[in-house]
Amino acid sequence: MSVLTHDHIAGQTPNSSNAGGMLLRRMNVVTAIIFGLIFCVGIHYIATAVFVMPEIPEGQDPPSGLVWMLENRVTLATMAGWVLGFMVGIGAFNGPVRWILGKDLTDEDLLFQAGKDQGISRYFRYTTDHKVVGIQYLIITMTLLGVGGTFAMLIRTNLMTPTSTFLGPTTYNTFVGMHGIIMIIATIIMVTGPFGNFVLPIMIGARDMAFPRLNALSFWLIASVVPVLLSTPFLGGMPTGWVAYNPLASQAPPGMDAFVITIIVFAISSAIAGANITTTAVKMRTKGMTWTRTPIFVYGVVASVGLAIPVFPAFMASQVLSGLDRAAGTTWYDPAGGGSGWLYANLFWLMGHPEVYVILIPALAALLELTPVFTRRPLFSFKTAVVAIAGIVGLSVLVWAHHMYVSGWAPDLGGPFMLTTEMISIPTGLLFLVFIGTMWRGRIWTRLPMMAVYAMLWNFVIGGITGVYLSDIPADEAMHGSMFVTAHFHYTLMGVALTGALGAVVYWFPKMTGRMIDEKIGFWGFWMIQIGFQVTFMGMFMVGLGGQPRRVFNYSDMYTTGNFVSTMGAYTIGLGALVFLYTIISSWRHGEVAPSNPWGAKTLEWQVPTPVPLENFDVLPIITEDAYGYGRPASEPKEGSSV
Amino acid sequence: MTDVELVSAPHEDAQYAWWRRKDVKAIFLIWLLLTVIGLSLCWVPAHLMGESASEQMDETKQTMTLFTAIAAPVGAFIWAVMIYSLAKWRYTGEGPPPDDAPEFRTNTPSVLVWTLGSAILTMVVFVWGLLKIAAIPAASGFGLQVVDAPPAMEIAVTGNQWVWNFTYPEFNEIQSDVLYLPVDTPTTFDVTSNDVIHSFWIVQMGVKVDANPGAITHTEVTPHKVGTYEIRCAELCGILHAAMQTQVKVVPKTEFDAWVKAKLAVVPLGPAEPKSVGGA
Repeated sequence: MSVLTHDHIAGQTPNSSNAGGMLLRRMNVVTAIIFGLIFCVGIHYIATAVFVMPEIPEGQDPPSGLVWMLENRVTLATMAGWVLGFMVGIGAFNGPVRWILGKDLTDEDLLFQAGKDQGISRYFRYTTDHKVVGIQYLIITMTLLGVGGTFAMLIRTNLMTPTSTFLGPTTYNTFVGMHGIIMIIATIIMVTGPFGNFVLPIMIGARDMAFPRLNALSFWLIASVVPVLLSTPFLGGMPTGWVAYNPLASQAPPGMDAFVITIIVFAISSAIAGANITTTAVKMRTKGMTWTRTPIFVYGVVASVGLAIPVFPAFMASQVLSGLDRAAGTTWYDPAGGGSGWLYANLFWLMGHPEVYVILIPALAALLELTPVFTRRPLFSFKTAVVAIAGIVGLSVLVWAHHMYVSGWAPDLGGPFMLTTEMISIPTGLLFLVFIGTMWRGRIWTRLPMMAVYAMLWNFVIGGITGVYLSDIPADEAMHGSMFVTAHFHYTLMGVALTGALGAVVYWFPKMTGRMIDEKIGFWGFWMIQIGFQVTFMGMFMVGLGGQPRRVFNYSDMYTTGNFVSTMGAYTIGLGALVFLYTIISSWRHGEVAPSNPWGAKTLEWQVPTPVPLENFDVLPIITEDAYGYGRPASEPKEGSSV
Repeated sequence: MTDVELVSAPHEDAQYAWWRRKDVKAIFLIWLLLTVIGLSLCWVPAHLMGESASEQMDETKQTMTLFTAIAAPVGAFIWAVMIYSLAKWRYTGEGPPPDDAPEFRTNTPSVLVWTLGSAILTMVVFVWGLLKIAAIPAASGFGLQVVDAPPAMEIAVTGNQWVWNFTYPEFNEIQSDVLYLPVDTPTTFDVTSNDVIHSFWIVQMGVKVDANPGAITHTEVTPHKVGTYEIRCAELCGILHAAMQTQVKVVPKTEFDAWVKAKLAVVPLGPAEPKSVGGA
C-alpha cells in the first residue's frame, strides 16, 4: 500500500503532492502550545457560557455547593481542552486523520516522523524513533525530579523548626501533595521511559518499538499534562497529599481538578506505553533470543509496564469518580449519599501498592543488568531472578489493604493481607541473593554504576527491614501515619529505585549521548546524595518512632532535633543533586567522546555504533547465547559477535 | 602483582570444603561482628518510641525489638559481603577487568537454603503478628473478640476538622475535648467523624483507628500508667491537620469520678453542645 501511495504522490506536482506532509513537518512543540492555549481559552469560554448559575430568588445567596460545582466543571473542561489542543498541535492526530482521509502517511512522512536528518529539532516534535523518545523521557524525568526535589527542599525548610511559618498550612499541604505526585510520576517513568525506550529495543535486536507512533503519543501525553499538574498551586492548591483521599478531596479547591486530569491522562499514557513495550519485548526479539537468552533488564521493564496495565485503571477510575463527585454532584465517596471513603481508598491502593513495584522492579533490573558487567561474573541464577520478579509482580496485586490496616475497613482481612505482604519478602530476598551471588568472587570494577549497586544494597536492607515492621499489624498500629512510614518508603523509592536510576543513567550515558560521564565530579554528586539521604531519613525514622505524624507543617518541640537533622540531610541531597545535574549537563555538552562499548559489556546495545544509527542495525543480529558469558577467555565467541 | 594473588587465592583453596575457604571464613567473621553490633542495638527502635502507657504499647515495643533482632543477622550478611567484596575483590585497573572471575552461574543449595531461610523468617514474623493480634482483643477491631472480657467503659470519639470530641455515654453524655481516662480500666472507643477521614491516635498507648464519616470503628485500650499523653490525628484531614491534637489525662479512679461529678454539675441533663464544655 505504501508503494501505491508513493507512486500516487510521485505523479503529482511538488506543491500539492504533500499538503498533509507539509502540515506534519510544521508541527512541533510551539504549535502544540499555541493550539493548547487556543483550545484551552475557547473551551473555557464555552464552558463558562454553558454552565451558568440558575436564577436565584431575590435576596438569596447562590448555594455555595453549586458555585463550587460549576467552578469545577469549567476547570475540568478547560484543562481537558488544553490537553486536547496540545495533542492536536503536536500532530498526534495527523496519522489517524490522514488514514481516514485515505491519504495514509508516505514512506517519506514516516521517515520524517522518525526524525531522519533533523538534528536537535526532532526532540521537539512528535518523533517516533525510540531513541528520540528515550531522550525525551530522560529530559522530562530530570525536569520532574528537579521540580519535585525543589518542593522537597521547601517542605524540609518549613520543617526545620517546630513552629515555622515559612509556608503556612495551605501552601505546605499543597507542596506536600505536589512533591508526592510529581515524584511518583517521575519515578514511575524514570527507568522504563528513558532506558526502556532507548535501550530495550536495541537490547533485543529490534529496529524500533512495535508501535512507534504510540510511543510518541505516550510521551507527549505526559508532556501535555505536566503544565496542568503544575497549575495546581495557582488554583487554590490541593489539601490532600498525593493520595487525594475522599471525602477530603471533595472539599478541595479547583487545584484538585488538575490532579484528576493529570492522573487520567497519565493512566492513558502508561497504558499505551505498557502495551507498546510489552508487545515489543514479546514479539520483536531478534532471531535466537529465546526467553532464557533475553537480558534481565527486559524482564524488569516488561514486569513494570505489564503490572501497570491492570492496576493503573483503578487509579484512573478513582479519579474519574472523584471528578464526577466534584463536577456532576454524584456521591461515590460521600456517605450522606450512600458513598464511602473506603471505596476510594480501595481503588487508590489497588494501584498504590503495585505501583511501588512498578517503580522498584525496573530500577533493580537495570542494576541486575550492569552488575555482571562490572564484576565480570555471569548473572547469578538468572532463573531465580526471573522467578523473583514474577513473584513480586504476582504478590504485589494482593497486598493493597495493608495500607488500610487501621482504617476500620474489613478488620478480619488484616491477617490475610499481613500474610501476602510478608510473603513478598521471599522473592525480594531472592533478588538480594542474585546480587551478592553475582558479586561473589567477581572482579569488582568500582566505577560509578557499580557504586550504585552498593548504595542500593545498603538502602534496600534498611528499606526492607522497616517494611517488615510496617507489614505486621501490631507494629503498624503504632507506626501508621507517622514519619516512620515516610522514611521507610523513601528508603525504597529513593534509596533503591532512584539510586538504581542514577546507576542506569551513568551506565547507559555513553550510548545515549555519545560521551562519557565525568565520574570525578559525578562521584561527589552521587555520594552527597547518598550520605545526605541517610542523614535525612535516619532523622525521620527517629521522629517517626517518637510519634510525629506525617504531613504536618508544625510539630511538637520534642521532635526538634530529629527534624533539624533531616533538614540538613535534605540540603545535602539537594546540593548533591545539583552537582550530579551539573555533571550530566557538562558531560553531555563536552564530555570525553565515548567508544561504542566502554564497559566491555555483552548485551546488544553495546555492539552497535555510537551514535546509534536510525533503525539501529544494518543486519539484524542472531543470538546464540545469553549476554552473561563472563569469566571466560575473550577469544570464545560471544553474543553479538554475529552482528 | 596483588591482582593475581587476589584472583588466584579463591582458586588455590578451592580444594577445601566451602566453609574452610578464606573468603567464607572472613565473611563469616565480619557477619558475626555486624550481627553482634546489630543485636546489641536492637533495643534502639523501642527506646525511640518513648514512654508507654498501656500494655499494648509494651507489646508493640517488644515486637519492634524482636523484629530488629531477627533482621540483624540478615542485614549483617548482605553488608558483610558488600564490605568484603570491596576490600578483597576490587579491581582498580583502567579498562574493563579481565575475564578471569569464576564463571559458575548458579548454586542450587544456596538458592534453596536462602529461599527456605527467608520463608521461615517470614512465617515467624507472620505468626508472631497473628498471636499479638489475638492477644490484644479488639485491638482496632482486629482478630478474635474475647467474649468474657471485663465490661469496658465506652467513649464515643468524634473527629471534626480540626478538633477531637469525646462523649461519655455512661455519664449522661458529658463531653470534653480533652480525654479523661481512669487508670487500669478497660476502655472501648467508638470512633467516627463528622466530615472527612481522621485517624484517632493515642501515641503512648499504641492505639490507632481511623475516624470515618458515616461509619463507626472500634478500638480498645487499658491505660496502665497515670499521666498526660498525646492524642494526634494520623490521617491528613485538611489544612490544619497538624493542629488536630489534644491530650489524654490518665488519672486515678477517684480523681476521674470527681471530674465526672464536676462535669455533671456544669452540664444540665441531656446532650450538651460541645462548646459549653470546651476547655475542661
